[in-house]
Amino acid sequence: MSDAATGVRSLADRIAARMLDASVLERVVIALVATALALLIGAVIVAASGYDAVEFVSSLVYGAVGNVSNLAFMLRQSSMLILTGVAVAVAFRAGVFNIGVQGQFVVGGFAATLGILFAAPLLPNSPVSAIPLLALATLLALAAGGAYGALPGVMKAYAGANEVITTIMLNFIASGVVYFLLDAYLRPEGAAAPNTEQFPDYVGLPGLVFESPSFSILGLGVALLTVVVVYLVMDRTGFGYDLVTSGYQEPAAKYSGVDPKRMIVRTMTISGMIAGLAGALFAIMILGYYSDPNTFPTFGFDAIAVSLLAANNPLGVIPAGLLFGGLDAGGQYIGFTLDVPSELVDGVIGLIVLFVAAPELFRAAGQYTSLGGDRE
Amino acid sequence: MTDTTAPAVQLTDITKRFGDVVANDSVDLTLDRGSIHAVIGENGAGKTTLMNVLYGLYDPNEGTIAIDGEPRSFDSPRDAIAAGIGMIHQHFQLVDNMTVLQNIVLGHEPSTRGLVDEQAARRRITDICDTYGFSVDEHLDTPIEELGLGIQQHVEIVKSLYRGADTLILDEPTAVLTPQEVEGLFDVMEALTADGRSLIFITHKLDEAMHAADDITVLRDGSAVGTVDAAATSQNELARMMVGREVLFDVDSRGGTPGEVALTVDGVTVRDERGLEQVRDVSLSVREGEILGIAGVEGNGQQELIEAITGMRTPERGTVSLQGRDITELSRRRRIEDGISYVPGDRLEEGLVQDYSLVRNALLSNQTMDAFSDGLFLDWGRIGDHADEIIDAYDVRPRNPEATAKSLSGGNQQKFIVGRELERDPSVLVAAHPTRGVDIGSIEFIHQRFQDMRAEGVAILLVSSKLDEVQKLSDRTAVMYEGSVVDTVDPDDVTEEELGLLMAGRARDGTERAARGTEGDA
Repeated sequence: MSDAATGVRSLADRIAARMLDASVLERVVIALVATALALLIGAVIVAASGYDAVEFVSSLVYGAVGNVSNLAFMLRQSSMLILTGVAVAVAFRAGVFNIGVQGQFVVGGFAATLGILFAAPLLPNSPVSAIPLLALATLLALAAGGAYGALPGVMKAYAGANEVITTIMLNFIASGVVYFLLDAYLRPEGAAAPNTEQFPDYVGLPGLVFESPSFSILGLGVALLTVVVVYLVMDRTGFGYDLVTSGYQEPAAKYSGVDPKRMIVRTMTISGMIAGLAGALFAIMILGYYSDPNTFPTFGFDAIAVSLLAANNPLGVIPAGLLFGGLDAGGQYIGFTLDVPSELVDGVIGLIVLFVAAPELFRAAGQYTSLGGDRE
Repeated sequence: MTDTTAPAVQLTDITKRFGDVVANDSVDLTLDRGSIHAVIGENGAGKTTLMNVLYGLYDPNEGTIAIDGEPRSFDSPRDAIAAGIGMIHQHFQLVDNMTVLQNIVLGHEPSTRGLVDEQAARRRITDICDTYGFSVDEHLDTPIEELGLGIQQHVEIVKSLYRGADTLILDEPTAVLTPQEVEGLFDVMEALTADGRSLIFITHKLDEAMHAADDITVLRDGSAVGTVDAAATSQNELARMMVGREVLFDVDSRGGTPGEVALTVDGVTVRDERGLEQVRDVSLSVREGEILGIAGVEGNGQQELIEAITGMRTPERGTVSLQGRDITELSRRRRIEDGISYVPGDRLEEGLVQDYSLVRNALLSNQTMDAFSDGLFLDWGRIGDHADEIIDAYDVRPRNPEATAKSLSGGNQQKFIVGRELERDPSVLVAAHPTRGVDIGSIEFIHQRFQDMRAEGVAILLVSSKLDEVQKLSDRTAVMYEGSVVDTVDPDDVTEEELGLLMAGRARDGTERAARGTEGDA
C-alpha cells in the first residue's frame, strides 16, 4: 500500500473513531452546527435562484420561534411529531416496522370523536363534564389505536404477513372507512363539508401559557410524559428489556424466555395505543371536530423520519420532534408570506434534515465497516 | 524468481493492537516449505488475529510478512489469495444450496469468450482430487447441504487448491469431525505436504498438534512463547507453555451416589422447521447429582432434543418431566423459573446479545428473577454486581463489565455464559458444548464447576462433540445417531474409538448396524 493511501486511511480512521466516541452533548452541538451549515448552503441556493436569501432564512426562523403565536404553532406540530415519533420508535426498537402509525392515529382520533359526540348529550352541559368526556375519549383512542396496531401484529406473528405491507395497506383502509362513516352518518344535515359537528365548547385543553385556540401546553405535556414513560419502561423494566432485546437479537430474546409471537403483538399494540393517543390529541386540541382523514397532516409518516433521526431512542425523539416541528412551522410561514416556490422551501428543509442526519448515518456506517479501528 | 529454500511464510515481529489491547506482540513465525506448523494457545492468545494478519484481513501495526522470501503486504484476502495463501475457516464458507462444482469455482470461473467453461473446471478439479486422494469429484453436482461435514471440509480444501493456494491455513479443522474423519483429514494433510505445500494448523488439542505437525508454536497473551519440535515435546510441556503453569489432565471424581430422578424425557420426537424428524422417540432420565453425557457427531438430533427439554422447541410427541411433573406444555420462561439452566450451543446468536454490555447480558434469561428487580423496576446496580461476580469467578477477559459481548473472544464469551447459567442455582443444567473454544486453563475450571454442581445434587445433561470431555465428566453416556439414542454406555467401560464407531452409526466392534428401528435400542 502506498504511503499516501495509508495516510488517507489513518486520517479517515481517526475521524471515524472521533465520531463513534462522540458524547450526547457533542452530538447536540454537531446537530446545531449542521443546521446552521445547511441553512448557509440553503441560503446560497435561494440567492442563486434569484430570491432574497436573508429574508428567506429570517422568515424560516421567524415562522418557528419569531413570536408567541408562531412558537405555539411550532410546539403544536412538535407535540404531534413527538407522540407519533415515540409510537414509531417503540416498534422499531423491538425490530417491528410499524409504518401504520398514520392509520392508527386516524382510527384513534375517530374513536375519541365518537366518544365525545355520543356521550356529550348524556352529560350536563357544564365545564365539569369535560373531565369524564376527555377521559372517555382518551381511553377509546388508546383502545382503538391499540387494536388497529394489534391487527397487523397478529397477522405478522401468526400468519407471517410482512408488517410493512399490511400496515401501509391498513393506512388506506383507515382513511377510507373513517371518511365513509363520517360522510354517511356523522355529517350534520345540509353541511357541505364532510365534517362532524363541533365538540361542545367546554371540551378542549385550556391554553394556559399560550393563547392559541389550537395549542395547549398540556398537549406538549402529554407528549413529553409519554416519552418519559416509554423511556422508563424500555430502560428500567423487565418487559422493556424483553422488547429491546427482541429488536437487537431475536434468537437471544427467545433463549431468555421471550415468546417472539406475543412480543410482536404486544409491541404493535403499544405502538398503536400511542398513535391513537396522538389521534385523540389531534381531534381534541387541534380540530375540535373530526374531518376527512385524507386531508390530515401526515404526522404518522413524518414520525418515521423523526424516529430514525432519534436513532429510535425515545428521549432523542424530543429534539428530533422539535426540529421537525420548527421546520414545518417555518416552512409554512414562508409559504404564507414570501413569494418563493414551495419546492425550494421543501428542498432547503430537506437539506437541513440531511445535514442533521448525516453524522448519525456516518456513525452507523462506521460501525458496519471497521473504520475507526477494528473494534474487537 | 521464487527461492525454493526460503520459508513458505515468514512472519517477523508482527504486532497488532486494537485500541489499548495488544492482540499480537512482536510475534515471529516461520513456516518451512512442505511442512505442517501447528499454532496452539488459549483463547485470546492471539492465534486468530495472527492468521487474520497473514490472510490480509488485518493490517499489522508493526512487523513484516515474507512469502517465499519476498516481503509482501496484503490489503485484503484477495491479495493473500493471489500470493498463494488459502484459509479454511472453522465455519465453512460454502453456499449451501449450490453444488460442489459451483462452490469451488465461485469467483474464479474459467471462461472462454465470456462463458463459463464447465468442462475445464471439471478437469482441473478432477486433477486436484486425483493428486491428493479426495473423493470430492464424485459429488461435483451435489448441493453442499446434502453432504456431511467431513466432505464439506474437503470441498473447502479443494476450493483453496483450485485457487492456487500453496500455503493453507486450517482454523481448528477438527472441531466438527468424528475421530475417523479426523484421521482422514490428517492423511490429506500429509498428502498435501508431500507435494510441497505448506500448512498452518490452528488447534486447541495438544494431542492433535503433536500427532499431525512438524513444528508447534505456542502463543500466550499475544506473544509467541516458543516453537518446539513436535516429535520432541510432551503434552505437559505444551500445556505448561500455553497456560504458564502446570495443568492437571485427569480430574476424576466419578462415583457419587445419584439421588432422585430430576429430569425425564419419555418417547420424545421432534421435527425441525422443515418438518424433518430430527429426534426420534428418545427416552432418557437424569438423576440429581448425576451427569448424563450425550455423545454424537453434531447434527444428529442433540440440539433439537435439548431444545425440547429447555422449552425452545415443542416436541411433536412425548413428554418432558421435571421432578415427576409434566412440563411439556410449559413456556421457556416458566422452565427457567422452575430451575432449568441452559448453556446454548450457539453463543453468538442465543447465548449473548452481541451489542449489549456484559452487565446487560448478565440479565439475559434472568429477567424474571426476583433478585434483580425491586418490584416494578430492574435493579441495574445489583445486575452489575452480578456481572462483576461472573467476570471474577470465571476469569472473563477483559475484566470490564461495560465491554460489549462482541468485543470478547469466543472463549471468554463462553465463560461468561457458563458463569451466568451455573450461578443461578439450577436444579437441572442442560449444557451444549460448554467448553467449545475455551482455553485449557478455563476448561479445567468449568469442569471443576460441573463436578461441584454434581456434588451439590444438580442433574446435568451434557452434550458435547468432544469425546474426552464426555468421557471425563459423564456418569453415563448416551450416544445419538440420526435422531435416536443408539446406545447408553458406562464411560469406564468404553474407549474413545468405540464411542467414535457408535457415533458413526456402527456397532462397537465396527460392523455395520442393522437398519434403524429393527433392533431394540433402549
